[in-house]
Amino acid sequence: MTGEILRILLLALQIGFVALLYLILFGFSRSLLRDLRSAEVAQLAGQAGIGRLSVLESPENEPPVGQPIALGPINSIGRDLNCTIYVEDDFVSGNHAMLTFRGRTWYIEDQGSTNGTYVNGHRIDRPVAVSFGDELTIGRVRMRLER
Amino acid sequence: MHAVPRPVEMRMLLPLVVLVPLGFAVTHIAQSGALDPGPLGLAIAYVGLMLGAHLALRLTGQRGDQLLLPAVATIGGVGMVMLNRLPQGGLGIDLPGVHLGMATTQLLWFAIGVSAMVAVAVGFRDDGFLRHYKYTWALAGALLLVLTFLFGREVNGARLWLYLGPIGFQPGEAIKLVLVIFIAGYLAEKRSLLAGASARLGPLRLPPLPYLLPMLAIFVIVMLIVVISRDLGTALLFLGIFLTMLFIATGRRSYVLIGLLLFVAGSFVAYQLYEHVRVRVDNWIDPFADPSGTGYQTVQALYAFGRGGIFGEGLGQGLPTISGHLPIPALPTDFIFAAVAEELGLIGALALLALVLVVVFRGLRTAMLARDDFSAMLAVGLTISLGLQTLIIAAGNVKVIPLTWITFPFVSYGGSSLLTSFVVIGLLLAISHRSALDSEAREQGS
Repeated sequence: MTGEILRILLLALQIGFVALLYLILFGFSRSLLRDLRSAEVAQLAGQAGIGRLSVLESPENEPPVGQPIALGPINSIGRDLNCTIYVEDDFVSGNHAMLTFRGRTWYIEDQGSTNGTYVNGHRIDRPVAVSFGDELTIGRVRMRLER
Repeated sequence: MHAVPRPVEMRMLLPLVVLVPLGFAVTHIAQSGALDPGPLGLAIAYVGLMLGAHLALRLTGQRGDQLLLPAVATIGGVGMVMLNRLPQGGLGIDLPGVHLGMATTQLLWFAIGVSAMVAVAVGFRDDGFLRHYKYTWALAGALLLVLTFLFGREVNGARLWLYLGPIGFQPGEAIKLVLVIFIAGYLAEKRSLLAGASARLGPLRLPPLPYLLPMLAIFVIVMLIVVISRDLGTALLFLGIFLTMLFIATGRRSYVLIGLLLFVAGSFVAYQLYEHVRVRVDNWIDPFADPSGTGYQTVQALYAFGRGGIFGEGLGQGLPTISGHLPIPALPTDFIFAAVAEELGLIGALALLALVLVVVFRGLRTAMLARDDFSAMLAVGLTISLGLQTLIIAAGNVKVIPLTWITFPFVSYGGSSLLTSFVVIGLLLAISHRSALDSEAREQGS
């Protein structure tokens, strides 16, 4: 008789274990669903933009350090006020470089500047594809391309 | 560093307080036949460990993914229940004066792994030392493999173990990490070149070989050493990781196609060259040809799945040991999935796989939200390594593919595997922490 009770109790506990496991799984799926509907992912899918430049070093603080620059598909960089990205630095030429988004890739091209354009510390002599995370140096200004 | 609340993580970890001790108690009652929960110390220590990790992440202000730790902790909890329920004799480690049983040793490894995870999550601030020294990392990994090949100890026909005194570890696990770091670094740098225009040969579009060559060279070296040391599960895993990352970076199907063709050719050569590969494949095609010899473990695993059925034999009520020995010698390591399926049935095994899926899902989400290519590729590679490893060992257990000796992440008994898997989670936490900080800064800016 006690054996019978024990067997039933054991079965109940075993079912309890699996039920709890599935309860946890249900919790996970609820969290996952909520996350999928959340604004963060919507922003990611819709209006995240094609990229931005985060300024790492800027001696004249124009562009200001730490403030990301939103990028359009075509960006001219230089000391000329008409440039999309205006850089105030004596080592930067008026029309220094061109940063463009073609297909799925960013390219940078030097526009015949005096002091050159550097990608990850290497001076470029032709249009070069840049990846997210690469560092661009223009004059004394260092920037990083980010998503 | 400000402490931040991690409410979702806390809420998802709480059920473990009941789940793990309940599992320990159920298995003890089923085995002893008395209404006695048995010793619960290990279960409580395990849950305490996971809550401690949560607290550490919270106090150091980590904003990383909140579902990774609970998912991993639940998978590991089921694993601890299974390992504690099996006979403790065979495995474990001998420290001077004391012998630690299998479950105790595993808990010790969990403690080390979780500490490593928190350390990586908190300490990994700058990925420069990973991406800039990728060739150094790759060479260090290859060197480790060569050392294993020369001085390693052979188990199950594969030379996987390197011993430092009494403590052995499997370098293959660490090399998995190094390889992912190297490929991520390389692809992040050369992605646009690889995906871009390529040479044409008649109607065929050839991949830009000069850019692929350094990576292919490293990869071939690693694969050669792995294959020579006859660790085929790891070789398959590496190939899968490599092709997936290449495809994600470039979006070109031709790479995957070429890779798969190479794989088929390589498998054929391995089958012709190695006796133990032939044995493995023959067992896969018909394990019942030699059910008490080479096919023994596979046959026993199939019986275990069969006995388990849909609802399982009941936790703690699987096949008892045969005269003090496990029916499947490699049960705690390679066949743990069969043990879970026998006692918890199809529903339990599916729950376990679903939990792994949660980890994979969150890992890929981390990659999607990463702010630079290297972090994204790293997150993809790490996630794929965990997911693919689970897939290969689970498929090997149910005889969908030939069985290979690799572990079920977070469930199988074994320190190297646990430590590596937790480092992977730590890296994912660190990457998602950085993108969370970033999007916060963006919101404040706008």
